[in-house]
Amino acid sequence: MNTNPHNMTQSIFTACPECDLLLNPAEPVVGDKAHCPRCGYLLQRPRKQSIERTFALSVAGLILMFPANLMPLVGIKMLGGAKDGTLWSGVVALFDEHLWGVAVLVFLSSILFPLLNIILSLLISAHLYFNQPNRHLANWMRWLQHMDEWAMLEVYMLGIIVACVKLSATSELKFGFGLYAFVALLIVTGMLASSLDKVLFWRQIGQLRK
Amino acid sequence: MKFKKTALAQGFIRCHDCGCLSKQADKNSHCPLCGGRLHPRRPNSFQRTAALLLSAFCLYIPANIFPIMTVTRLGVGEPHTIIGGIMALIHGNMVPIAMLVLVASILVPLLKLLGISLLLLNVHYRWQAHAKKWTILYRIIAFVGRWSMLDIFMISILVSLVDMGGVAQVIAGPAATAFAAVVVLTMLAAKNFDPRLIWDNQR
Repeated sequence: MNTNPHNMTQSIFTACPECDLLLNPAEPVVGDKAHCPRCGYLLQRPRKQSIERTFALSVAGLILMFPANLMPLVGIKMLGGAKDGTLWSGVVALFDEHLWGVAVLVFLSSILFPLLNIILSLLISAHLYFNQPNRHLANWMRWLQHMDEWAMLEVYMLGIIVACVKLSATSELKFGFGLYAFVALLIVTGMLASSLDKVLFWRQIGQLRK
Repeated sequence: MKFKKTALAQGFIRCHDCGCLSKQADKNSHCPLCGGRLHPRRPNSFQRTAALLLSAFCLYIPANIFPIMTVTRLGVGEPHTIIGGIMALIHGNMVPIAMLVLVASILVPLLKLLGISLLLLNVHYRWQAHAKKWTILYRIIAFVGRWSMLDIFMISILVSLVDMGGVAQVIAGPAATAFAAVVVLTMLAAKNFDPRLIWDNQR
C-alpha cells in the first residue's frame, strides 16, 4: 500500500454496500456470483468480455436511439381521425396541457436519461477498451450509476401495452416501425445493464489513473 | 479470516460511488480511487428519508382524490380517478390489465410508503430481529419504485394519441402531477435510506 496526496490509503479489504460487513475481496470467475455472507447482497457477477460487450452494445443502442425516438411508435384511427404517436409527442401533449412537471419527468425518464446512459456507457467502455486515460472517467462512471434507475424504458413499454389495450376496444391501432426499434432498444439496454460489471470497470478506471 | 463487524467499526470507509474501501483519516476526505467525497454513511440519511416520505404521504391524498384524466367522447367529459380507471377496465372485461394497473399504481406506492415508514421505525427503535429480512424489504422497495411510473407513461401516450378535438379527447388531470411527485419522492426516499443503519444497531 502506498500513501497518496489525499492522506488516505486504499485497503486490501472490501465492504458490503448494504450491511457494511468487512470482507476479503471475493474474486469470482465468469459464471459465478459473489454474495455477501451476512445480508445476501450480490457483490459481483463477472461477465465474459465485459468491456468489449458493453462497447458493442452501447454502439448498437446509440444507433437504435434514432429510429426509436424519431419514428412513430403507435398510430391510431378513430372516428375518422388518424394520429401517430412518438416518444416526443407524448411530452409535447403533456406540456400543452400545462402539466409541465409531468412533461419534464416523462422527457427525462423516457428520452434524456436513456440517451445519456448509452452515451456514458459508450464513452467509458471506449476509453477502457483502447486504454485511454481520461480525467473525467470517474465522473462519468459516477453519473452513470446515479442515472441508472431514472432511465425507465421498460416501464414505458408497459405503459404502451396498457394504453393499447385500453384503446383497442374503441379504435383501430397500427404499430409503427418506431415500436420495433423501441423493443430492440429495450433488449439492448437490458443486455447493456447486465454486461456492465461495475467492480471490473472501477478497477480498470483506478488502474488507468495511476 | 472473517470479521463479523462492520467496516466502519474497524475504521474503514467505503466509497458510495466506486466501492473502494479506505482507512478513515479525517473528515471531508476524498476517495483515493475515484476522488469522490467520502461519507461513512449516507449523509443525514434518516432525516432526509423521513422528510421525503412525509411529503410523499401528503401528496398521496390528492393523487387519489382528484381525477388523473378526463376522457371526453362526443363532447361529454368523464373524469377518472386512479381507482375509477381501474374500475372502468374491470367493467370493460380487461381484468388482467386492471390487475397490472392496480399493482403498479395502488399497491406499489402503498407498499413503498408503508415499507419505508417501517424501515425508519426499525432504525429509530433499534429493532434487533430479522435484520436480513429488513434488508430484503429495502431491496424490494428500491427495485419496484420505478414501476409506478406506468400510469404516468400511459397517460402521456393516451393524451398524445387521443386528441380528436370535440369527438374524442383525453385530458390529464391534476392528480397526474401529484401522483408523479409521489413516485419521485418515494424513489428519492428509498435512495436516501441507508440500509447499513439497520446493521449498525445490531448487537
